[in-house]
Amino acid sequence: MADARANLFSGRLPSEGGALSATKSPADGGVVAPARHRGAPAWLRRTGVVLRSYALFIAAWWLLAAWNGNPIQLPDPASVFNALVDLARDGELLEHTVVSSTRVVIALSIAVSLALPLGFAMGLSRRLESFVDPLVELLRPISGIAWIPLALFIFGVGNMLPIFIMVYVAFFPLLLNTVSGVRSVDRRLIDASRTMGVSRRAVLERVVIPASLPTVMVGFRLAFASAWAAVVAAELIGAPSGLGFAIEWYRQLLMSPKVFGFIALIGLVGFLFDSMLRALQRKLTPWHTGASA
Amino acid sequence: MSTAGLALGNGRPVTTALWQVLALPLLALLVWQVWALTLESDTRAPYPIKVLTTFLALTASGDLPSALLQSLGRVIAGFCFALLLGCGLGILMGANRKLRDSLDPIIEGFRPIAPMAILPIAILWFGTGTPAALSIVTYAAFFPLLVNTVHGISHVDPKLVRAATTMGLPRWRIMLRVLLPASLPSVVLGARLAMGVAWTAIIAAELAVGAKSGGGTSGGIGQMMFVFYAYSVDLNAIVVCMIVVGVVAMLIDRIFRAVERRLMPWRP
Repeated sequence: MADARANLFSGRLPSEGGALSATKSPADGGVVAPARHRGAPAWLRRTGVVLRSYALFIAAWWLLAAWNGNPIQLPDPASVFNALVDLARDGELLEHTVVSSTRVVIALSIAVSLALPLGFAMGLSRRLESFVDPLVELLRPISGIAWIPLALFIFGVGNMLPIFIMVYVAFFPLLLNTVSGVRSVDRRLIDASRTMGVSRRAVLERVVIPASLPTVMVGFRLAFASAWAAVVAAELIGAPSGLGFAIEWYRQLLMSPKVFGFIALIGLVGFLFDSMLRALQRKLTPWHTGASA
Repeated sequence: MSTAGLALGNGRPVTTALWQVLALPLLALLVWQVWALTLESDTRAPYPIKVLTTFLALTASGDLPSALLQSLGRVIAGFCFALLLGCGLGILMGANRKLRDSLDPIIEGFRPIAPMAILPIAILWFGTGTPAALSIVTYAAFFPLLVNTVHGISHVDPKLVRAATTMGLPRWRIMLRVLLPASLPSVVLGARLAMGVAWTAIIAAELAVGAKSGGGTSGGIGQMMFVFYAYSVDLNAIVVCMIVVGVVAMLIDRIFRAVERRLMPWRP
């Protein structure tokens, strides 16, 4: 099960190390003078690289759009930017973003309140795990997307459908990571505190929960990533609002700049959420500097 | 039931007895069936026995196998595209630090964009047929392949490369004989993840293309689910499709794990 976590997560591993970590900051070497002329501090240089990359990307996009010559298929960056400004002015941008984000937050809260208690119980009791795990392993391969038609019947088009799908997809990474987090707690810590007469409850609160928190946080970030991918699909098919709805709506109206604008927004909001979770991860588990394992 | 073996196959201690494995799933099935018996006889609600008979009927008529084959064909084709693109670019980025630093922000910028968000563009560009579905699968599978290839290549022990260079191996041979084998575990892992998301993406793509174009144009198992939802309103058939989707996902995972063990017997 730790395997599942590591695998899913390895999608994120490499890029997080800080791309410039190899070019060591000259300031900590003591030999300042010769190295200084290389100029700006690392974060500035990094920003420069990012800006250069995106400038090239947008230039390539522009050229491609000009070469294609069909603004419905591929609008140029300027018109997408204008569309985004228009949408922001209408308030539509904010509206759809808020709707989708609210659904994600609600779904994640539900998933957490279901998966964490069950995960801790399963982590602490092998017996319970041996009963529940088969059911989990049977359900897990059925992707959340495959539930959409059935869920459309049960919930109809509306808020409930995306929330249900997201709770479903967020549940498994949370559960599996919680179980493996609890399992990975050093037995000796528990034994030591038991020996010192600490009550079971306190052992749970003071030892098991903090020690498994890093893994749980990883599960939380994974759960968000799955939920964010699922909300787009669910809204696209079965909701009258939200970012996923908006891209398909404007596609049908053939208003491509708005479609592209909303797609960019999906990326941006997803990125911002993940940055927030990463900050939370650093705050809650500062001792877990790897932040990824 | 073979699921017992499957569920236990995760390197977990095999102390779990068979009845423990079967208890909860069977109980769930039983509750589901009993619940269905309390409904009126002409109910649309799916229940286990009806699901089973629907499965047999769909298999016998050939609808299910052909839809499944179509979806699988698309996934494999899309996966191959993604393999070429992802591994190709991944090797370049893994071997060249400058390129990696420059492309990384763009890749990271695209990653939070769900495959399904690309669907409207795919429909605008390719219509509602196979190419649209294919492009979504390729997009979905591309990122795990790319990221894991880059990770694999850039984390090869530099001593190995230096040793090979010292012994006078040309660059391309170092690539072929040192970098590629050393990064293989990571690449195969990426392939397994990619195939998993590709399978999810094809279902989503077929479902949504069906839902948004009135159906009938794209085919595949996702499309089939949509038809059962929107036209014939057959919930049992939808559940059959869900189970098939799940079983295929599980099989894909098993196959790649078996390949991993085959290719890399030195790993546990």
